[in-house]
Formats: sequence, C-alpha cells, structure tokens
Amino acid sequence: MTENDFAELVEAETGLPLTADDLATRFDDLPGWDSVHLLKVLSALESEHGITLRIAHLLDATSLADLYTAAAVPA
Amino acid sequence: MSLDRLRELSRAGGLAENYTEVAPLLAGLDDTGLRRAGMLLSKVDASVVDGPRLTVAVVGSSALQPIEAPLTAQLARHGFVPDVRLGGYGQYGMELRDPGNPLWDVEPDLTVCVLDADEVFDHLPTPWTVDDVRAALDEHVAQVESLVAGYRGDHVGALVLTTPPLPRHWAAQVVDLRGRAELGIAWRGFESRLLGLGVEHTGVFVVDLNPLVGEHGPLRDHRLAAYTSVRFTDPVLTALSREVGHIARALRGKTSKVLVLDLDNTTWGGVLVEEGPLGITTGAGPVGEAFTAVQKAAKQLASQGALLAVCSKNDEDKVREAFATNPDLTLREDDLVALVANWGAKPDNLRQIAEQLNLGVDSLVFIDDSPSERGLVAANLPGVPVIAVEAGEPALHLHRLLADGWFTTQRVTDEDRVRGERYRTERRRLEFKERADSLGDYLAQLGTEVELFAPGPGEVGRIAQITQRTNQFNLTTVRLDVAAVTGALADPGREVLGVRCADRFGDHGVVGAVFTSTEPDGARRVDNFLLSCRVLARGVEDAVLRELVLGARDAGATELRAAYRPTAKNGAVAGFYAKGGFSLVAEDGGAREFAHDLAEAPAEIPHVVVRAATTV
Repeated sequence: MTENDFAELVEAETGLPLTADDLATRFDDLPGWDSVHLLKVLSALESEHGITLRIAHLLDATSLADLYTAAAVPA
Repeated sequence: MSLDRLRELSRAGGLAENYTEVAPLLAGLDDTGLRRAGMLLSKVDASVVDGPRLTVAVVGSSALQPIEAPLTAQLARHGFVPDVRLGGYGQYGMELRDPGNPLWDVEPDLTVCVLDADEVFDHLPTPWTVDDVRAALDEHVAQVESLVAGYRGDHVGALVLTTPPLPRHWAAQVVDLRGRAELGIAWRGFESRLLGLGVEHTGVFVVDLNPLVGEHGPLRDHRLAAYTSVRFTDPVLTALSREVGHIARALRGKTSKVLVLDLDNTTWGGVLVEEGPLGITTGAGPVGEAFTAVQKAAKQLASQGALLAVCSKNDEDKVREAFATNPDLTLREDDLVALVANWGAKPDNLRQIAEQLNLGVDSLVFIDDSPSERGLVAANLPGVPVIAVEAGEPALHLHRLLADGWFTTQRVTDEDRVRGERYRTERRRLEFKERADSLGDYLAQLGTEVELFAPGPGEVGRIAQITQRTNQFNLTTVRLDVAAVTGALADPGREVLGVRCADRFGDHGVVGAVFTSTEPDGARRVDNFLLSCRVLARGVEDAVLRELVLGARDAGATELRAAYRPTAKNGAVAGFYAKGGFSLVAEDGGAREFAHDLAEAPAEIPHVVVRAATTV
C-alpha cells in the first residue's frame, strides 16, 4: 500500500480531506482528528489486508505516519 | 461512482449549492457507501442549504460520534437537509433535563437517546449479584421515565429511545444457569418498560434494538468499546439510523402509500408468458415458498394501509388468468388497487398508476428484479424508492422488501385497515362514471353525502393522519400529530371538524378535516382545510366551504378569513377560496390571505347532501 493509497483509505474512513503530505502531521494539528478515527483506520487496515493489529500498542501513535509504519502494512 | 461525485462536490465546496443532487446520488449506495457519503455531508452547514431542514440531536450513555455519518446520510437520502447534533459522552441525563443546554439552541425535530448496558453495570459494586442488577435497573428505568416526561414538557420535537441489548460479557459473568435466566428476565422487564414509554406517550418512539442486532450485529466491537467508549458497531448504528430516517419520514408526512410489484421473478418465479399461468413458481417447494413469503408480506403491509399495485411487462390477460386460476398464489387480483401489465416503459406505467389512484408518483415504492427496469425508474422518477431483488435468489426478496420501513407510520388507524377496499370501490365508481351520459348525470346518480362532525377520542388518530398524509388538497400544510390535534380540540378558541363522506358505492369514512379559530377582533379563521384526494371533484370541498361560511355567520363572526400557503404539491388549490367567494386581501410570494364578508353565502352545491352534526 502506497502512502497515497493509505491517505485515501484514511479519508474514506474519517471523511477528513487528506493527502500523503498530511501523514507526518501530528494528530494534535490535524483538524477534526479523534481517537475513534484512529480505531476506524486500524480496523479498515485489518480488513483491507486480512491482518490483525495489536491496537493497544498503537493508541499512543502521534501521527498517521506512525500508523502507516507501525502497522507494518504489506506493500 | 456516485460517491466520487459527492467527493468531487465536497472538495469543490459545492455540496450546499447542489444539495438537490444528493438524494438521487445516495439512492445507489450500500451501507458503507452511505456512511462514507455521510461523512462528507455532515460537514455541510445545513443553515445555508435550501431545502427541508431536519434537526436531530443524538444523546446517550456512550460515545456516539460514529452515528453522525450514517444518520446524516439516511436523512439526506429521504430528501431532508440534515443538521445532526451530538451530545456529550454519557451526558444525556443532564442534557435532556436542561432546556438551556446549547444542544437545544435550535429546537430539534427529533431527539434520539441511545442507551447501553454498560451504564447499568458500571455503577454496580464488584462483585455484583443478579439482585444488584435488578435494583439498578428499577432505578434506571424510573430515571428514564422521568427524563422522558420532563423532555415532553420542555420540548415540542419527537423523542426516539433505543432499548439496550444485554451484551454476552455481562450475562456470562453469572455462572449459575438459574441466575443467568433471572438476569435475562430482569433485563427483558427493563426493556419492556422502556418500550412501554412508546405506547404511553405520543411523540415518543422506542426502537427495539434486538431485532436490528439480530440482523446486523454484532452489537459491539470490543476494542472500539474499550479504547473509545463507542459501544455499538457501525452496522448496528447504520441500521438504527435507517429506522430513525423512516420515523422522520413518517413524522413529515412522507410515508409511502403504494407498493408496486413487478411480477416475473419478483412476485413469483419464472416468466409467465413462457411458463403459463399454472407453470410459474409459487407456493410449493423451497423456491416457491420464498416467493409466497413475498406475497404474504405484501398482504400483511396491505392489511395496515399500504396499497398494492402491479406493474409488469406481461400480457394483461395472462396476468389476470394467473391471478384467477393458479391455486398456489397467495396474492389475488382483489388484493390490488391497480394492475398495469403491458409492454410499455415502466416509468410511464408508474405515472399512470399514481394518476389512477390520484396520488403523487413519489408516494409509490417500486420493487423489481430487472436492473434495467430499476435503472429506468430511478433515472426518470428520482422520488420513487426502488427496491432491488435478484432473480436468482428469491430467499432474499422478503428481506430486501422489508429492509427499509417505507410504510412506517405513527399509528395504524381503522381507515388504514380498509384503505385497499376503498380504492377498489373507487375503481368501480370510475367504471360507473365512464358509463354515465354526462358529469351531471354521474354526480346526480352518485348520491354523495357529507357529514361534518366534532371528532371524539377515537377519531383523533385519523384526523392527525389526514394532516400527515394529505398533500394536494391541503391549504396550509400544517402537519399535526395526535397530541397537537388533542390540544386543538381542548382549546376553547379553536375548533376541529372532521369530514365524513359516503355515496351509493359505499362509505368513504373520514376523508377530511377543518381547523378553525377565533381571532381577537371577532373574525373566524380557517387555519387549515384538508380533504383526501379520493373525494375531490364532486362538490364535497365546496359544500364544506359553504357550511363554514354559514357557520361563521350564524355564530356572529365579523368575517371568515383563510390562507393558502404554497407547497410543491398543493398548487391545484391556490384558487380554491377565490372560487368560493372569498376576496384576496394580501399576497406574498405565492402565499395568499383571503377574507369572506359573510354577506352572501356560496350557492348550495347540487347533488351533495350535507349533514352538519355541529356548527362552526
């Protein structure tokens, strides 16, 4: 999954208008972001790739880039 | 594709301006698509959109942010411009009690209160017993009952409550089977009392979440619940949103009126012109039973006020023969109020059915297995909901038919139960009319009788329903629920009259209502005048208006005032008062004010006998 695909998935799940450039933005600086969005994105990644993530470990993520890498999304 | 178009509009900031495009775009989306579309739509500022706004507040005992998108989409799908407001996590008690809460800055048309089980268990000691749960539930339900009563006192909008299903992880903490049964009994008792609120109060509707969870569950996503306090999955919140959308539709008088069935591979299996009237699949065998289930459900809906019609590409004589001779059909021609079987385009045929029934075409719901027929109808008649069934899988037909509550209504009245029969009588009346030598002859032979009466408690539901369902002959389109009609009846300054009508073909029942009030200067005012389209164009409306003028004069009123407020549907009655001898005294953007000086009563209407049980 490319960064662009990931940004698209996040946009579809959260409704927040995003591009790959927003991946490094801290959640605190991402208008409208909340913890429910984080769970929704992780669940969507799971069903998209047929994987199981340890979500408890990802609750402290600070940016989308953390999710993108820490989730070890297969290319 | 339609989601792409919505994204494009959203990115360009053009959703608000192009909101009329939204409902047709949503019609083709599945639940995930609707949720995603809802995210885009919930960013639109409803106050700048031109259209029928619907404000909904959602409060509850858990975090409810994920309901915003599906609820917004469901409301937009019905043509509303939704303004969905969310209360704070667990704040519903305070929010419902406090009329000064910012949530009520705009009085919501609907408030949805979503309850959940954790709220009860979180307040118990550890360890807890079934007795503890029982005591906590008694206290909880008493609180909810008092909140509901308080809310009804402070607000005019409707209130929707949901029952909280019992999650397994609570029941499973009771190890003895007898105790687990006792927990179940206590829980169902609690849910029953909540459901009772919907029976007790007008304007309170309780959605039983159990059947929704059974169909769309699981109830919870444990990780979402643990980490974010969201205690319902998206599919359950989507299903709940769908129910709320249909409640809103019913409250705004948009309940569908006619279920239009395709025949081949929708109502029965196979193609009639190929298999013959006795060769179609229905009744016997697993596949036949699946089609019979559709027929039975259609009759079930019809018994409660939905009208059934057929629109089929078929030979009409073969269709009639099948209905008359196939012993395995549950549905018969007698169950239908209209039967159109030909090889013409279905959008034209649907228009013809609507015209024949004297209803707007958007009061129809159409079900068909052919993607091309569905596409044609969706493209040409965007106001008609289209239910898709797949020819190869009739077991799912029933569930597709019932997935949306198109016929959801606040209360089924006696009138609903006999509506189909009335329309069939109307068909006989039309045939009689076609045989009459002239319109005058026809009216003279019809023998129309009109009665004006003061509605009793048994008729209040029907009067409210007339204000909800009537679109064409509705002079000011003020929709009233049962509570509002009861209020008008109790108000000494106002009067409510019901209109009954009968003729040689039978009794039409209660077909109209007139709401009047006394103005401070001694004039009478007709606040609204409504008549079912079934009895139009035979002098009934003119006869009632004459009675109103005579009644106002007899009561010593200085004049009789009346207003016309235009809607998309009531253009035909814009000139009704002027024709009845009223003078136009003001006009503002289509809205008209009329007055009658009562000097000269309108002429008696030939061929209509009026009995006024009460005077205005």
